[in-house]
Amino acid sequence: MRRIFNMGIEHKKARWGWFFVIPSLAFFAVFSFYPIMNAFYTSLFRKRLLDLRPPKFIGFANYEYLLKSPDFWNSVKATFIFTLGTFIPIVVFSLLLAVFIMSRRRFHKFFQMAYYSPAVLSSVVAAAIWLLIFDPRGLANTTMNTLLGTVGKDYKWLATSGMVRLSTILVYFWKYIGYFTIIFITGLASIPQSLHEAARIDGANGWKDFWHITLPLLKPTTVLVSIMSMLQCLKTFSTQYLFTQSGAPTEPINVITLNIYNTAIRDHNIGRASAMSIILFGIMLFFTWLQFRVSKSGGEVDY
Amino acid sequence: MNRRLVLVLLIVLLSLSLVFANTIELEFWTHEDPNRTPLEERFIEEFQEMYPNVVIKRVTQSSSKIQELILTAFAANQGPDIFNMSIEDEFAYIANGRVAPVDYEAAGYKDMEDLLASYLPGTLDPVDYEGEIYGLPLEITNWCILLNKKVFRDAGLDPEIDYPKTWEEMMEVSEKLTIREGEIITRRGFDFRYPYYLVAFMPLVEQMGGKLVSDDGKTAIINDEAWLNFLDYMAAWGPNGRNLGSPTYKNARSLFNMDNNDIGMCTTGLYQLARIKADNPEFYDSGEFMVVPFPQFEDAVNYVPAHYYGHYYMVNSQKPKENQEMAWKFVSYMLSHAEEYLEKVAIIIPTNELLESETFKNYPYSDVFISDLEKSTVVYFSESSAKIQSLIKEAVESVMLSGTSSRDALDTLRRKVQEVLDDQY
Repeated sequence: MRRIFNMGIEHKKARWGWFFVIPSLAFFAVFSFYPIMNAFYTSLFRKRLLDLRPPKFIGFANYEYLLKSPDFWNSVKATFIFTLGTFIPIVVFSLLLAVFIMSRRRFHKFFQMAYYSPAVLSSVVAAAIWLLIFDPRGLANTTMNTLLGTVGKDYKWLATSGMVRLSTILVYFWKYIGYFTIIFITGLASIPQSLHEAARIDGANGWKDFWHITLPLLKPTTVLVSIMSMLQCLKTFSTQYLFTQSGAPTEPINVITLNIYNTAIRDHNIGRASAMSIILFGIMLFFTWLQFRVSKSGGEVDY
Repeated sequence: MNRRLVLVLLIVLLSLSLVFANTIELEFWTHEDPNRTPLEERFIEEFQEMYPNVVIKRVTQSSSKIQELILTAFAANQGPDIFNMSIEDEFAYIANGRVAPVDYEAAGYKDMEDLLASYLPGTLDPVDYEGEIYGLPLEITNWCILLNKKVFRDAGLDPEIDYPKTWEEMMEVSEKLTIREGEIITRRGFDFRYPYYLVAFMPLVEQMGGKLVSDDGKTAIINDEAWLNFLDYMAAWGPNGRNLGSPTYKNARSLFNMDNNDIGMCTTGLYQLARIKADNPEFYDSGEFMVVPFPQFEDAVNYVPAHYYGHYYMVNSQKPKENQEMAWKFVSYMLSHAEEYLEKVAIIIPTNELLESETFKNYPYSDVFISDLEKSTVVYFSESSAKIQSLIKEAVESVMLSGTSSRDALDTLRRKVQEVLDDQY
């Protein structure tokens, strides 16, 4: 009792800090850390989902197999094409949309809600809606034919390699652009108005204000959005799954997560699927670290 | 007074615990089929009346979802007591010891010979493993061609005479039936059932003498010429060829029932008739559809109709013996209503009794289906059949949609299927 009484205020704060953090740490340990460790352990075994025999330890053979497998490298390629094709436009356009919405005096809330609404839909529902749109007789072909003045042209949204990749990117872009726009809006709102006013007084026009005041001060939000959107893209699954179930060719959109699912559920090969999960985890970890490194290279901005 | 109350309470508690201790709860997981549900729910009620200590819980999901649920439940050693799925997916459960052999006595048979003698020869072969039978068939299904007579007449054809007998004719007839707006097809003459490559596409290869796997099961892709002809045919069928259909259009079988002038023919089983009756009774009563045999290639070296597949009821081997015994009793009770299954669901439980019955003989187009079934062989099944099917899908899609040459697609298919065969352990 005396010891507690004698503790400094910082110590007391730290104790309460631990008290509040422990539930989330426990949650992370049970639902994230343990599955990661378990997946790594499983990846070292030849293990089939239905096999009642004890799994056979094979060391890193699953990793060795994957690194030599053209299928796995195709999945890596499909994942990177999708990620680059989606997260860069998402970061750029969500920032532009956020600036656009913040500059509006009217319909501010309406725009926020309108852009955010697709994010509320489940990925499966979103993909199902877009499947109807991409049907050869659907809205996508009709719109393109009207816009480009073509008659009865089938743009093969779900058929050719390039188009099916573009279609998955469009679905994801549509679904998540609003979500990241809201995050940017929060970031923009946290920049003190006095800084913009000071810049205007010093003669800065709108572009200079955006480039020299808004963008540098928005750097933490931009880093957050780019990391979150990149991770989200690397984990993409539902759109590709539903598209391939509906007749789209698998190879161009066989992203790593889809390959993991098929290896585990269709082929029952949980050992190899776990190895793929660990590699994906490594990729995500590496690119997150890389983004942090790159973002820190310019130093912190403060006015 | 208090003593009496305690005594009464003790007796009540004891009898309740005895009741619960003797209750057998059976989990029965199956795929959704709106026509089967009321029938099987009635069977459950009747069975529970016959065996008051049994509680049966029937769980349904879509046919693709139920496979995942059953697999993950078994992986966690929490599988249901009774389940069914197609034999291509079910075989892995037998091979891995996850299901129990039929309890002949509980199922109402003297022994295995008695059981085999009750069914159409060959229909229990897929579940005959190491001298035991591991499942009882809910349905044995083969596919023929369902044809909309109105669409034929609209294109100036006589359905009774002009229906396609060969795959070459199928292409020509489909061309006549197809309506397009530019490149976009608004009415297909015929289209394949794309996810089912082992059931409905392999016969095309086999008609020309090709095989998926050698007889010893060690070599993938036999007879390149047959495979190349097949892949060329599919490329010609697709949007980059004669543009007659594609996997990206809504599946033909679902559209057929609506009779909306958007599909002329589709591949399907007898069960489709019950679904037409349920979905569109007017179309069913109009008699404006007919069933014709599965086409053959003009230069076919083998007569191969669509492969038949079976949905077999299986019982979880990890459940207690009393559950297994009761599960087989219940399965047998359901299957003893084969004529009702035919009349209400249009599925064939291949018992000799049903096949010889007037109900079966008088059922519309049962003669066409049974004629093809007699010439048909069971679909390819192994522990890796789902993967192999997806590899054939990739090959067909690549020639139809991505413009890959048949030779390149075949070489890739061979490499991948061979890898699967080599990897089986």
